[in-house]
Amino acid sequence: MNTDPAPVTTDEPDRLVLRARDVHFDWSALDLHWIPDEPFATHVINVLHLLLPEGERWFVEVFKQAVPHITDHELREQVLGFIGQEAVHAEAHAGVLDHMDAHGLDPRPYVEQIAWLFRVVLGDRDLSGAREFAWLRTRLAVIAGIEHYTAVLGQWVLDAKRLDEVGTDPTMLDLLRWHGAEEVEHRSVAYDLYMHVDGGYARRALAMGVAAFALASLWVRGVRFLVVNDPYLRGRIDGVRPKASWALRDGRRGLIPHLGRLARAIPEYLRRRYHPSHHGSTAQAVAYLAVSPAARAAEAAEREAAR
Amino acid sequence: MSDDRERRVGHHADPRPPTDLFRSGRPDRFMLGLARLAARLEPLTARLRPGHPPPKPTGDLPVRVVRTERPSPDVAVLTLAPVAPETTLPAWQPGHHVDVVLDGGVVRQYSLNGDPSDRSRYRIAVRRIEGGLGSGLAHGLREGDVLGLRGPRNAFPFARAERYLFVAGGIGITPILPMVVAAHAAGLPYRLVYTGRSRSGMPFLDELPEGPDVFVRPDDEYGPPKAADLTRGLEPGTPVYVCGPAPLIAAVGALVPTGTPFYSERFSPPPVVDGRPFEIRLGRSGPVLPVEAHETALDVLLRVRPGTPYSCRQGFCGTCRVGLVEGEPEHRDRPTGGAPRDGGFTPCVSRAGEGERIVLDL
Repeated sequence: MNTDPAPVTTDEPDRLVLRARDVHFDWSALDLHWIPDEPFATHVINVLHLLLPEGERWFVEVFKQAVPHITDHELREQVLGFIGQEAVHAEAHAGVLDHMDAHGLDPRPYVEQIAWLFRVVLGDRDLSGAREFAWLRTRLAVIAGIEHYTAVLGQWVLDAKRLDEVGTDPTMLDLLRWHGAEEVEHRSVAYDLYMHVDGGYARRALAMGVAAFALASLWVRGVRFLVVNDPYLRGRIDGVRPKASWALRDGRRGLIPHLGRLARAIPEYLRRRYHPSHHGSTAQAVAYLAVSPAARAAEAAEREAAR
Repeated sequence: MSDDRERRVGHHADPRPPTDLFRSGRPDRFMLGLARLAARLEPLTARLRPGHPPPKPTGDLPVRVVRTERPSPDVAVLTLAPVAPETTLPAWQPGHHVDVVLDGGVVRQYSLNGDPSDRSRYRIAVRRIEGGLGSGLAHGLREGDVLGLRGPRNAFPFARAERYLFVAGGIGITPILPMVVAAHAAGLPYRLVYTGRSRSGMPFLDELPEGPDVFVRPDDEYGPPKAADLTRGLEPGTPVYVCGPAPLIAAVGALVPTGTPFYSERFSPPPVVDGRPFEIRLGRSGPVLPVEAHETALDVLLRVRPGTPYSCRQGFCGTCRVGLVEGEPEHRDRPTGGAPRDGGFTPCVSRAGEGERIVLDL
């Protein structure tokens, strides 16, 4: 196989039709520390499995409420495709939670907090009329902000060659890259939807500020929770309590996203001329989906059903 | 395990704030803080004005049929140009298709097939399908007829690579031809295998680049194709693009090894199989709507409520799922990852027995 770098291209695949893929993963052979000998990095990424099922179900509920407000045919199609992709992402990550439980790490206390956050705090709040619609637009702005992060993370995992080199579990890597590729594939939808139904800068900036703060805090809490409750670690890795500096170290080693990249996402998003299509590579996302075992199997099953 | 799972991730939120993560018993202060923050921000953001007034609905793009050709009796090649003079059509890439709005609002998708750099016209090719409504309407179009277009959209992304294998079967050449032309023009190594019953029924033979990279393979000269013949010489890592009848795509896909990119156009959801007519009622005292044998309950819902959310139309994503109030449904969904159905009904695929009525929580 030729390993030369791909030629630089300006012709990114454009105007993609978004369709959910009915992927399936078998976790029966997964180690609890699926990046071998890297429990800290494993748990940093594991936080996603705790956050995403409830978070993405919330995206779906909020987006479903937004559908009747869309007056553009193409955007409606994009939003409907986005909803299905997010719904499948949520269930795919929820499958990993069962696996953690089977290894003696009960994720329930953390997941219940996240469920309460999304369903109650960020739920419908008993509003009506103009205020109800404004709350919908605010939540769409929060989702647009989070989606900038998911696109950054998606691009990171597509690029993260180091994860292959250290022998990361291939099924987990396929889950993360299939998900990452779909996040890159649909990265413009939440922003375009927000710009369609509202478009105000103040709401978008405020929502990003809150979303970035909440995500960062929840992530740190999630890592602490996992390390303390991991039956093999019981709060210590090599006899030491995890340190914040390990996040920088493992970021530099390419095992987890680098904090500098995550911090840079905020000013990037706050630029007045921001558009998600300026960041990340659709070509790379599409190319991964063309080799992903889970996506290939899903599309083959879909073709079989259509015959 | 499923009960357990339902309790954990599928449960309905308890309105009380959850307890602290580590010293169970007390409410979690961080979570309470986030709740207070949201309660303060909500009234504040209610006062923020939208950046613009609500957008006006966008319509379909009107185009005129400026040329019709019949390269073979069952294929119509239509050239479409914008009705409004001096209008440029939206840009497209090989693999893109348009939604064509035909008589009576019938919408069909056809791949674009002309020259992407010519923004004054689009070209599509339609194969006549025996008894097919859309292809029949498209074959009835004459020069000067006006129709609506949506898109273009991309369900068959053509990604830049160092070399390609293209496999086309019959009318499947339509999206492949612009890909081949682009690869040829870029000087990239490629191979095209183009199959069909006989040369006379294979469109665009005269537009294929000349050379040893193009293998035209009609069945009446070479016999029925075997997938292994079509992928012969495929080097691992060479992206494979296939378009044609479903069995051809499946057979080629099965031979493309893991790690070698495989691209095919994604089909529209399958038609209803073994459907019987039934009825849905929207709420206990709502209207009763008949669902015909050939349509889905979702099709019926969308007619009366166009804002109804849905997504996969294959019964796995759960987007269109609604509560079931009464009746004996015939569940045909297969929720992804085995997620619980939670007493719901999935109108994109699920049905009821002949003449039965089910009441939906709508």
